[in-house]
Amino acid sequence: MIKRELVKPRMDSLWQTTLKDIVFTSARPVYAIVLAFVVSAIMIVASKVNPITAYVALFQGAFGSLAGLANTCVRATPLLFGGLGIAYGFKAGLLNIGAEGQMYAGGAAATVVALTPLPVPAVLHVTLAVSAGFAGGLIWGFIPGYLRAYRGVSEIVVTLMLNYVGIYFINWLVEEPHPLAELNTTFPQSPIIEKSAQLPILIKGTSMHAGIILGVVLGLILYLLLRYTPSGFKTRMIGQNPEAARYAGVRVEKQILFAMLISAGFGGLAGASEVLGLKLRLFDFFAGGVGYEAIAVALLANGNPLGVIFSAFFFGALKAGANKMQIVSGIESSMALIVLALAVLFVIAIGFGERRLRSKRKKDKDSTERGIRAYGD
Amino acid sequence: MDQKDALRMEGITKQFPGVLANDNITFDLRAGEVHGLLGENGAGKSTLMNILYGLHRADSGKIYVQGEKVEITSPRIAVDHGIGMVHQHFMLVDNLTALENVILGIPPRHPPLLQLDSDRARFKKLAEEYQIEIDPSTPAWQLPVGDKQWLEILKQLFREAKILVLDEPTAVLAPSQVLQLFKRVRQLVAEGCAVIFISHKLDEVLEVTDRITVLRDGRLIGTIATEEATGPKLAQMMVGRAVSSDRMPRQPSKTKKKVLEIKGLYCNDDRGIPAVRDLNLIVHAGEILGVAGVDGNGQRELAECIAGMRKPEKGVILINNGLITGVIRDQSVLGYIPEDKNKTGLIDGFTVEENLVMKTFDTPNFTRKGILQWNAIREAANDLVEEYDIKTPDSTIAIHNLSGGNQQRVVIARELNGEPALLLTSQPTRGLDLGAVESVHKILLKERNRGAAVIFISTELPEVMAVSDRIIVLFKGEIMGDLDGDTADVNLIGELMLGHRDALKAAGGAS
Repeated sequence: MIKRELVKPRMDSLWQTTLKDIVFTSARPVYAIVLAFVVSAIMIVASKVNPITAYVALFQGAFGSLAGLANTCVRATPLLFGGLGIAYGFKAGLLNIGAEGQMYAGGAAATVVALTPLPVPAVLHVTLAVSAGFAGGLIWGFIPGYLRAYRGVSEIVVTLMLNYVGIYFINWLVEEPHPLAELNTTFPQSPIIEKSAQLPILIKGTSMHAGIILGVVLGLILYLLLRYTPSGFKTRMIGQNPEAARYAGVRVEKQILFAMLISAGFGGLAGASEVLGLKLRLFDFFAGGVGYEAIAVALLANGNPLGVIFSAFFFGALKAGANKMQIVSGIESSMALIVLALAVLFVIAIGFGERRLRSKRKKDKDSTERGIRAYGD
Repeated sequence: MDQKDALRMEGITKQFPGVLANDNITFDLRAGEVHGLLGENGAGKSTLMNILYGLHRADSGKIYVQGEKVEITSPRIAVDHGIGMVHQHFMLVDNLTALENVILGIPPRHPPLLQLDSDRARFKKLAEEYQIEIDPSTPAWQLPVGDKQWLEILKQLFREAKILVLDEPTAVLAPSQVLQLFKRVRQLVAEGCAVIFISHKLDEVLEVTDRITVLRDGRLIGTIATEEATGPKLAQMMVGRAVSSDRMPRQPSKTKKKVLEIKGLYCNDDRGIPAVRDLNLIVHAGEILGVAGVDGNGQRELAECIAGMRKPEKGVILINNGLITGVIRDQSVLGYIPEDKNKTGLIDGFTVEENLVMKTFDTPNFTRKGILQWNAIREAANDLVEEYDIKTPDSTIAIHNLSGGNQQRVVIARELNGEPALLLTSQPTRGLDLGAVESVHKILLKERNRGAAVIFISTELPEVMAVSDRIIVLFKGEIMGDLDGDTADVNLIGELMLGHRDALKAAGGAS
């Protein structure tokens, strides 16, 4: 005889739910990161270096000084924007691997606004420039978004291909005599942007700019959007089961396009923050593959925007600390990339293991239930 | 055993977790015969054939091919024994040519190179023998459906199959193509092949086979010669009881309010083939309309049109005099329990409460100032969990943790909660055990008594007869008859399900 369990109404506040989300969804990446460091340690040992020495140096490089900390934040910033966009795409069932191209589009759009001397307060100028960055990415995302939603073309292929278009279009733009080129220089680059359009530096003497704050705030907003708005609910529906979403009356095509636009807009913000906060001008290849690294950041976070904040910082720290590790221990700074790649692989592996365990348990449970029922008859 | 037997399966038993799929089934196939294997969905036909083809291993039982005991552990061994299977869903590689598809998987005689020229000659010779006009160099995707099917059979002939299993071979064919298929099946048999013809379409089985074996609930019901078989007799064997309808008692409905009106509806199925033809229908408040018919006669497409999920080619659908142009979100208008709950009715990764508010999350009850009110959602969900007796420890756990019956309750709870004017249910009892089936019937009757117009689409004829106030029979997308539930005769419905509209006149029929 199975006793029916009583349903107790359970009410959580917004903060309780958010906290629970963090605790439950962070377990997997944390295990994965630990495993990644363990496996990387084996490789470090193979290079005849004490992994503890290497890791301590890595940690010191990332967090040991104000400059290191600032460096961590600066490197985390574009990864954070890009990762958020990609994660939002994941939630809608979209694989946007075009953050790189969207960065170039957003960076170029932000540069156009930032180069223009506007008779407005700096706050407004920089806001306009950032918004232009978002819009630039959004326009770049409209193409794959429309094709996917209304024509059924794989967004993976289109976003990937548009990366090359974006990269070389910006190369063209900044080369003399094209529209954004600085005249009479040896490098293909734009002039320095207006002072009023630059993201403010947060800590004097470092390059840490306000982009990181904007990123964290937008990450929280994205999380709340997904969890607490009808639009977010619809986005998650199309990501999980588009057929059921259609059945429930969601206009699936429109929602797919919307999700792709948001996702790509964040890619644009990643480019804009690099131009407006760090590089202060547009030049060729300025994104340097960060858009691809952001995919790993989103994967490590399992598509959760809150998780992306942490995983962007984690990866920023790895990149920032890797130089010091190389100086102190002689281990190549590319070890940081290996750690990240392993962490992503372990996240996927652990997720796979959990699913298998779950379906096995479900099967056992179902057959037990049926067995009981058959016996009872 | 008889030397004439091409195949004998003896005492086959297969237990799946929780289901006895085959229970001591003995089946024999004579050389040169077409043997029909008949049964409802889940009767065990596929399991038996999968065992024959080496896709499953039987728990016990023996298989003899041409009088010789064999162990079939993989499809490759089945092929070696001359067993060929044509699956319901074609196993063709679209961008390979017809010839390449046929030789795919056959080791070349002189590896590593293929002997395409000699294979092509053989292909042409076989094609000529059976009068099939397929150019060996045509890519498979360019072939019409009928040719694809024949290509599948050619594939088996190429492998010198002596025992051919055709799984629902007519499901995708037009009537003229069906006739052609039957002719060729006859030719195959004349050449010495033995054919197992799996179907749940009675008329086809009656037409093409020599003997018929009926399975039900994993057990062998019997094997009879086709000459001695009749439609009603087979139907009775398939569903088990001499289909008596214990009708659920009910008060006559007082109103005659029109809720659903369909005028001249035409629509296509997913492949673009006409599925519903010139359908006219009115359903009133306070009545249950049963839609009977063999699976695949337009029921799914009709339901999807009414729910606004499929665009009609022609015709109009009105609910409460409002024209249906898209998916209906208003829960007081339509409740829709779709055929495939896991694919359409539920979102697997969502929680119980999220699934319960899937259609109402953005109503003022649950969204205020653009913000989802999770506390209100949770309260409402908990109420529904209690009211519909959904067994779950918590409404915040993922729906996939629930058993099938409880998942169905979630769908029912969501669809009934808005007290819809029209309740549309498509195979709502499929896959449920007897107790759950009965409770679904009670729910339908309760909704009827509340004053809803209820549509009950089911392939289970006894259920339709037990529940409905009125019964329509669908055949190839057309209404064959519109009968009164109290007086409907099972034999008449059986005839109508086979498309014999004349039966209605012979019975001096209603409307």
